[in-house]
Amino acid sequence: MTAEGMILRTPTRRITRSSAVTPSKTSPLSPPSVPCPAAEPSSSGDRDPLSLDELLSLLPGRKPQILELLRLIGPSNSPMLPVLLYGGPWTGKTATVLRVFQHLRRRFVYASCRSCYCPRILFETVLDQLLCHKRRRENGYWSAKRCDKPANFVDLLRDALIQATSAQKSCSSGENDQMIYLIFDNVELIRSWDKGSLILQMLFRIPDLLKVRNVGLIYISCALPDAYYSMVGSSLEPSYIYFPDYNYSLDDIHNILIRNQVNPKLYSCFLSVVLKPFSRITRRIDELAIAFKPLFKKYCEALTDPRLIPDEAAKRRLFDHLQPHLTISMNEIFNVPSWSSSEIDKERSINQRGKLRNLSGKEASGELDIHMSLSAKYLLISAFLASRNPATLDGALFDSTGGSDNNRKRKRKSFQTSMDKQDNLAEEILIKGPGTFPLERLLVIFQCITSTVEYEAEEVQLENGEPTEGSHAHLMSDVLLQLSTLCNANFICKSNSCPLEGSRRYRSMIDEDMAFKVARRVNFPLSKYIYRR
Amino acid sequence: MPSSASSEPPSSPSTNTAAPATGDDLQPFFILHKALPRRPEKKAPASAKRKIDLSTSSPTSADKLAVGPNHATYEQLRLDAFNIVWSKIDSTINEVLRQINVSVFDEVHKWVLESFSVIKSCNLTSAPEIHSQHPLGNDVICKQIPTAMLLTKNAEFVDYLLTFQELRDYLKSMGFHVSNLSALDFSAKYGIAGCLRSLLRQLVMVTPDVADVSVLSSWYSEPDNYNRPIIIAIDDVERCSDSVLADFIRMLSDWVSKLPVIFVMGVASSNTARKFLPSDALQHLQPCEFTLASPFQRMNALVEAVLVKSCCGFTVGHEVAVFLRNYFLGHDATITSFIKALKLACTKHFSMETLSFLVVHMLDINYEVSLLGKCKLLPVPVLTHAFDLPSCKREKDTKSNSDDLATGLSELRRLLKNWASVILCLYEVGKLKKMQLLDIFCEATDLRLSSLRSSNNKLDRVSLSSKNLIDGRLAFHGRSITQIINTLRELPVASLSKVLDLWSVHTEEMDEIHDKIQELHLMVQSTKSGTSFQEKQIDCHRMKNPSGVGKTSFLVNDKAAALLGDMVRKFLIPVESRRFHEVVCFRDVGTLRTALIGNPRREIQVNLLKSKSYIRCSCCSSSDNALSPTMHDSSVMYNLAQEYGDLINLRDWYHAFRETVLRGRNKLKCRSPVSKKARLASESDEASIQARFCSAVIELQITGLLRMPSKRRPDFVQRIAFGL
Repeated sequence: MTAEGMILRTPTRRITRSSAVTPSKTSPLSPPSVPCPAAEPSSSGDRDPLSLDELLSLLPGRKPQILELLRLIGPSNSPMLPVLLYGGPWTGKTATVLRVFQHLRRRFVYASCRSCYCPRILFETVLDQLLCHKRRRENGYWSAKRCDKPANFVDLLRDALIQATSAQKSCSSGENDQMIYLIFDNVELIRSWDKGSLILQMLFRIPDLLKVRNVGLIYISCALPDAYYSMVGSSLEPSYIYFPDYNYSLDDIHNILIRNQVNPKLYSCFLSVVLKPFSRITRRIDELAIAFKPLFKKYCEALTDPRLIPDEAAKRRLFDHLQPHLTISMNEIFNVPSWSSSEIDKERSINQRGKLRNLSGKEASGELDIHMSLSAKYLLISAFLASRNPATLDGALFDSTGGSDNNRKRKRKSFQTSMDKQDNLAEEILIKGPGTFPLERLLVIFQCITSTVEYEAEEVQLENGEPTEGSHAHLMSDVLLQLSTLCNANFICKSNSCPLEGSRRYRSMIDEDMAFKVARRVNFPLSKYIYRR
Repeated sequence: MPSSASSEPPSSPSTNTAAPATGDDLQPFFILHKALPRRPEKKAPASAKRKIDLSTSSPTSADKLAVGPNHATYEQLRLDAFNIVWSKIDSTINEVLRQINVSVFDEVHKWVLESFSVIKSCNLTSAPEIHSQHPLGNDVICKQIPTAMLLTKNAEFVDYLLTFQELRDYLKSMGFHVSNLSALDFSAKYGIAGCLRSLLRQLVMVTPDVADVSVLSSWYSEPDNYNRPIIIAIDDVERCSDSVLADFIRMLSDWVSKLPVIFVMGVASSNTARKFLPSDALQHLQPCEFTLASPFQRMNALVEAVLVKSCCGFTVGHEVAVFLRNYFLGHDATITSFIKALKLACTKHFSMETLSFLVVHMLDINYEVSLLGKCKLLPVPVLTHAFDLPSCKREKDTKSNSDDLATGLSELRRLLKNWASVILCLYEVGKLKKMQLLDIFCEATDLRLSSLRSSNNKLDRVSLSSKNLIDGRLAFHGRSITQIINTLRELPVASLSKVLDLWSVHTEEMDEIHDKIQELHLMVQSTKSGTSFQEKQIDCHRMKNPSGVGKTSFLVNDKAAALLGDMVRKFLIPVESRRFHEVVCFRDVGTLRTALIGNPRREIQVNLLKSKSYIRCSCCSSSDNALSPTMHDSSVMYNLAQEYGDLINLRDWYHAFRETVLRGRNKLKCRSPVSKKARLASESDEASIQARFCSAVIELQITGLLRMPSKRRPDFVQRIAFGL
């Protein structure tokens, strides 16, 4: 299908929205009618131009990469080879490219494959930017062109590029063939798309397919170039620029973190305290920045004036203030503070939290912080047992009558003799993690557990001579409903049906701590039933 | 059934009352009666006509007690009374549940404002700049989205549906953009497009064929929409597909400088998110946790408003209270099901208790006058019924006139009020020990405990079951009142004075007690100032002997405990021991249990075996148990199956079935001479009977009464259900 065909289709789709306006917007001649300065689609127009020194100082530790990138891009009227920037996440790839273009003041088109999560959005985003199309209420938030096939995209892209170049020529001072750069960010995500390899292949072959001189391509990826080797194929191989992690110099990290701080001196004092211990754990900028944010707040708490530049004594005082929080925060992955409106409350809660943390996990309150019904608790315990114990042991641990303690002990002893044979089995369990079980097994274990409990309870009631009713019915009623509740709360997960048996299997998702907490709540002797080697 | 709490307008609960009135709530299926086979020679149609009178098909206990000639009018009165009372209870429930959330909502609102101002101050771009696709290079290192985590601390989510709805409405009324994404939007099947599409549909109000975030950003840049936070509420995070949610968070974090997105998430426990999301998505969240009222808090508030401060003219007896409590703890643990149970109890009460219509008059402000007036108008049979109530028969001096009924009822109301105040006083102390109001309520309604209390003063020995191995909380042990009084003895002065403050509020209408409490309060005040003085004087002395804070305070505690014990003995007499309590008090736990939990398999069996008693057709007499060929096949088969043991021989069964079915036909056929045509017909009959047999067996299998033949015994089916 030609580009014209595509264009003709769009107005009909848009017939409900102000049809009077649409033709002029969609016609290929519209961008020249809308004044479109050369640098408009890029951000460099609105921002102050950067000198090279400023550029280098903004991106500490990235000097070689910037210079290499500048060399590869070359002057504004000479064609360039495609470039692939790669490196781990948070190594400054995107920031470098965008800053470089701010420095160069050239026109570019940016599309991140994260926001554009399917081919169609990716293509239309690129075309929209080239054609200076903006989605608005007036045009019903439609894109300029409809395009969802790679082949169409190449055609449309060629048209759009020609159009954009001609617009550029008419606007600017007549220099021939200004370059337009296409930047594709997060390219590695495309691999997981439906037919992703085809699209990647197309993206890497764009220079070949287009045969337009004035387009430069820049790919940014977290994956190594090897991942794209097969897709690049016979076409022009891109030049690679590697962005290493900020592994070796604390100074770089220091310099990056200190940017945009209100009081750099104070922050540098803070960093001198925290950066070293933390850098032993992680050197990823994002993780550090997130960990330092609350810590710095705490650091400043002891200060009266945040603009103060601390002297030696003050530094020591601040360090003393911070120290108790340091180790806690190092062990914390995801801290969820609770919010309260008044300052006093806040402080108090913080104090309490600190104390709690110091006590930490060891005696971490036997309280179960989630509410569920009694039968749900028993069901959870039985699911845990079913996941934890091998199915062959069920007969030994539970007999069908849900017998008394003596009985169980005897059975366990006889089982002890065959223990050695099952050593391998035990190791396997540990390695495999929680096992899956069919619904029937869960229900049998549940029945055994609850019947044992009721048996004991009945004895007590007989002693007292007043039989009470109800508990039995309560524990057994609506087990399936409770099970679905637990599944929904992610305590038990449903796995796909087993291909051989065809029935659904379940798996318990709770850890041992939680299981013991629940068992303690219902006075269930869980440790007796857990299979240990 | 969340609707019972919320959506149902109080004006139209009649649909609910209809079902219990028939007396048979669980009707898994009715087996209909077939017509007699049409005779080949057409007779007068009148003889073949059957009369099924369904109108009297459901006798209830109330019907038997029906009094007076105008029984229907009383039924209508009861229905009206139910409507009034339930609408009152319903509005109370709604109000309580709303009140309990108000403070949390307010905090969330403040937090949203604060985080929005933070977003604005650091990195929000101006409206025209939003259009550009690329992230603006303003060096935000951690692109975090403010996230409110609303902890439900409950495995079951049903109770919070309404809460989240209210929260959204509240935030919307504050002028924020609010959109609600549910777990359905985050399904793995549709991926990230599903949730984005839903988001766009709610905010932008257009459904583009591809859901693109840039649409949202350009929508936001419009002047009408700009400068207001976008709140994305995800009610039940646990149920979302984790990978889709993580993708969603990652994508939105790229737009953080252009769209002021704020998440409001409902999570079950505080470490849900930590377990649920991958760390690279997690680091984009800037969490903050809010705790919603726990189920027990809600429960306490509900019980206090509905059952204790019984302004509604409906209360429950001890057995029902214990049942409700166990149902809540053991069975479902949701407020929703508790409310459902309460509503069922209420409907049952008003449908079964003949005199319950009098409740309306007890609700009046000047109830004494209103009751007197009403009771005078009651006909004699109604009055005799009133004085035949078991609670009335117990008392010897029955005058059985209308004034006596009226005064009895007004007395009942007054006593209930005092009883409620004492319970509230008890609960004020129990709160300090984290006791549940429902436990106290159960104990306060227990007749045995109260008789024990009145017989000997030693409350400590009142303990029913010493230890219970099931669960200290499921088994009702009935020692909380003793515990409360003991607690009071050891209470520090400051909290004692607080408690006394609250007591004096609760007992405002009980003059005598109120005065005593005021007196105690004065004493406490004086000891308080005294101790504070002493503290200053001899601080070191106190350090050595912390127990002897002051004998005066000890004395006050004792006095308070004695007063409370007095109140308990005097006023905490269970409603079930009062006259005419049947009018307001629902006690039939059996009915409630069957209505609530039910026993569907038993119900199916009953319907199969005794279908005649349900369908009273004129053609077969309901008295004899003989099988008639006109009965439904499944019913016939199941009746026949009763004669077998564990296993049913298929062949025998089939023959018995065939005999039964053919019996009716042979009667007709013996008159006409056997012809060739008839023989052919009988052959085709044989086939159809076999087919009917098969389908009936399948039906019985589907209803779970049979197991099909196994490979080992191909001739036998197995019975699963035995007896009723």
